[in-house]
Order: sequence, then structure tokens, then C-alpha cells
Amino acid sequence: MLGTLKAIGTTLRAAFRKPVTVQYPTEKKELPHRSRGLPTLLWDFEKTEPFCTGCQVCARYCPVDCMTVTMKDNPQFAAGKSKRKKIVDKFYIDYARCMRCDICVEVCNFDAIVMNNTWTGVELSRYDRQELVMDLPELLKPHKSGQMADPFREPMGVAHSGWAPKAEEADEEANSAGSGQAPEKEGGEG
Amino acid sequence: MIADNPWVDAVARMGIVAVLLPLTVILLTWVERKVIGRLQMRLGPMRVGPYGLLQGFADTIKLLTKEDVRPHTADRWTFELAPFVVVVPVIMSIVALPLTADILVRNMTLGLFFILAVSSLSIVGFVMAGWGSDNKYALLGGVRAGAQLISYEIPLVMAVLAVAMVPQSLNLEEIVIAQSDTPFIAYQSLAFMIFAIAGLAELYRPPFDIPVAESEVVGGPFVEYSGIRWSMFQLGEFVSLVLISILGSLLFLGGWNWPWSLFDSSVPVAAQVVQMAVKASLFIFFFMWMRASLPRLRIDQMMSFCWQLLLPFAFLQIIINGLVLVYDWPNQIMIVLSGAAAAAAVYVTYRAARESGVRYEPGYQRVGSVL
Repeated sequence: MLGTLKAIGTTLRAAFRKPVTVQYPTEKKELPHRSRGLPTLLWDFEKTEPFCTGCQVCARYCPVDCMTVTMKDNPQFAAGKSKRKKIVDKFYIDYARCMRCDICVEVCNFDAIVMNNTWTGVELSRYDRQELVMDLPELLKPHKSGQMADPFREPMGVAHSGWAPKAEEADEEANSAGSGQAPEKEGGEG
Repeated sequence: MIADNPWVDAVARMGIVAVLLPLTVILLTWVERKVIGRLQMRLGPMRVGPYGLLQGFADTIKLLTKEDVRPHTADRWTFELAPFVVVVPVIMSIVALPLTADILVRNMTLGLFFILAVSSLSIVGFVMAGWGSDNKYALLGGVRAGAQLISYEIPLVMAVLAVAMVPQSLNLEEIVIAQSDTPFIAYQSLAFMIFAIAGLAELYRPPFDIPVAESEVVGGPFVEYSGIRWSMFQLGEFVSLVLISILGSLLFLGGWNWPWSLFDSSVPVAAQVVQMAVKASLFIFFFMWMRASLPRLRIDQMMSFCWQLLLPFAFLQIIINGLVLVYDWPNQIMIVLSGAAAAAAVYVTYRAARESGVRYEPGYQRVGSVL
């Protein structure tokens, strides 16, 4: 009886509180920095080339075999502009197959691949399954276009050991990642 | 009179009812989802139209275009006619309902009696739906609907009759005119309580949704229905929601009158409509609020609450009214007695609910009754 009165009082009070609903496609919650979307490649803004050297370690470790990588000689190395002898030639990731296990990020020797921590790494609906196979320009796009301003770079091999970057290290990472972008804004709009 | 020829007149009035009622129901489904959403800190429908206003229309189009499935073991005519048996009586009882002093379909001398008699016919439809579906859950739900609706019909009718004793008329217009000074909720607080609770049960909405409980009988009599036939049950439910709300505002809240004659008693039509809309909305909001707040009753709690508490107190209200009217006591006595009886009813319910908490101690186990 008293419980009944309490119940109707509770719902009436709830009616005057702000609704918690987020109107998803038009307004989006901010994703956490470590949000694990789908893997994308990072762009080296100083050398104007991808970090990826095409070493295929990610493709070999991928448990679902969703990646295809080929390597070529780096023309910028011949011109003396870059220290990378080899550079990625072709890179395909089948997003329909990827299970977001993060292993490619952990094994990458060049910190060249990250999990997309923006909404574009999550929103995947396509009319054709074939459109989910991403090639190199599409994989580089989120970082290169500045849309993924602050990627979370997982330190190699220590992801699950409890290690965390110190404050100055984190700052350096943010600076090297940004180079002209707005580094403050996490997980920008799609 | 809309037209001179009585047949043309009747068809015109029928057309107005047939257009306005589904429209009201379509909007009410939206209102209900909005209200319950806000009561649960959600937004409710927001996508179709501004603030989701067209959601009801979208749902209607969806329901109309869905396939009308009939199980091949179903009893064909019972199954197919049941939705009509549910809807038609409810819409028929709208006929006798005055919306304002002038806006009405037909003013009947025995309007209240007509409404109570006709609207209770829809129980037959539930039992038909339950039997005709050839489904054990539908049958259980149909039997539950029969039990609950017939049980709560009695306190509802008794409370309404107690109200009708005061103006000594079953004509709804006269009942409203008798409240031009004070609405009957003051004289008949006990009857109002019983009416609100029994009305909630008559609408088989939570916490009285035992016949259509999703988690117990997977939708009760409606299990096998789809598309247009299912939406007719929905139509019946919402029309009876409107019916009970308008009836309650006519009987207890003074209808189209200003309470306590705040303004001149000759109210303009626009003000009458606003009065009725506000008063009926209060009832509708109450029913939706209860739906958002309270969990479902157990079937034995529901039955014993009706027969052991609501019905005796409804008779008590009739006895109080009879004493006051026969011995010509002043009306204030009625306010005091009815209020005291209402307080007693609340206390009895409170005690029963409190005692039900200790009934599993060894030696004190009670069986069968919550009161």
C-alpha cells in the first residue's frame, strides 16, 4: 500500500527529470578515447606517407584473415626524403570479417595501425557487402583527413600488462599525432 | 438535429463518430507512449513527424497493410467475429455519452444504464476470441478476461448507481446539471475511489492487465490475431479508455460545469469543450500514470480485492446515500460519511497489504486471501 504510493511518486518525479535518451543518428554520445572501432592506418604528416611499411605482421597474426598487405620500395627513400626503405603498396581490410580483436594493433612494429575511436569506425551499414572491403586510401582517410584527430596508440605488447603512459609521454604522443590538427577534440563528428 | 430526415441525421451522426473515434485513438496511442516515456525518463516516439506526432498514423498504416492470419484449426466465425463483438458495444456506448450540453449523439433518459449495459457486452468478445483461437494461452486469457471484467463490473456499477442516487436520475445530462454547484467527487469520495480502481480494471491495463499479460499468457485472447483484427482490439481498448474517462468526468468532476460555480453557470460551448477535455485528460493521465508505475497484481489478489473490499464498500456507499436521502439529512453529512468510509477502505487495504508481509511465518500461514 505505502509501496504503491511510493511507486507512483517515483514515476511522477521521474517525469520532471531530463530524459536520458540520446537521439542517436542526429546527436551522438562522445566515444571514450580507447573506444575500439575497426582498424585504420595512420598517416605520417611529417614525411607525407603512411607509417605502414607493409611488413605483413598484422596480416599474419590476424585470427580471421581479414587483411591483405603488399610491400614496395619507397620512392621517397630513393629521393632521400624518408628513412623508410619499404612502404605499403596495397592494403585491404575486409571490415565484414574483422572481429575487432586488436591483435593487429598490438603486433604492429611501427605503430602504423590503430583502432578507429570515432563513430566512423562503428557505423558500417552498406548496401553491398563488397563495399566493406577497404583499400589503402580508405584506410588512411580517417586520420589523414583529420577526422580522427586523436587516435589511441596502444604501446606495443604491453596493452594488457597494466602499463599506462606517463603524462609527458601522453602529451608527446598527442603532439606527434596532431601536427596542425585540433588535438583537443576527441572522437569528432561523422 | 443535423438533418431533417431522421435517417440522414442518424447516418451523419454515425459518420462523425466513426471518423472522430479512430482519430482520437490514433492520437491517444501517441499520447500514451509519450506520457509513459516521460514517466520513465525517456523521450517516447520522436522520429515520425514533429515530436513523433505522426507515429500513430504510421502504426495504423502498418497494421492495415499487415497480413490477416487465421490459424487453420481456429473456429472460423468465432475467431473472425470476436474483434467486432469487442469493438461494437464500446462504440455503441459512446452514442449515449454527452460531450457537452449541446455536443452529443443522442441524449437518453436512461443513458447511464445504457452505457453500463452495452459496454459490458464486450466481455463476450474476449471469451469468443479466447475460444475461437484454438490456443491454450488465448483460452486462458479469455477466461481470465471473463473473470476479471465481470467481477469489476459489479463494484463499478454499484459506484455509478450510488452517484446516480443523488440527482435521482440516470440521464447523464441531469446528473451533470445537478453538479452545477459542487462536483460529486466531494459528496461521493468513496464511490470515486471505487470507480477509478474498477475503471482501471475494466480497461485491463496495468496493474490489472492479468487477461492480456505478456509474461503469463503471451497477450491473452489476442495471441493469434494480427493486422487489422488485432488493431480492432486495440481500438476497443482505447475507445473504452476514452469512455471511462469521459464517464468519470461527467459523474464525478462536474462535466462541463465550472467547479463551485466559479463563473456564470451558462458556460459558452468553447469553455465547455475545454472543461471536458481537461477533466477527461486528468482521468486518462491517471490511467497512464498507473500503467507506468505499478507492477501487475496476482490473480488471487485481484479477485479478493474486488470481492472482499471494493464490493462491500460500494454497498456501504449506497447505504450512506440511502440514509441521507431517506431521512433528508443535509448534504454535508454525506461528505463526512463518504469521506470516513473512504478512509476506512484505505486503512483496510493498508492493513491487508501490511499483514500479507508476515503470512509466511510458521503457524501464521494464510491461504487464499490477501484481505
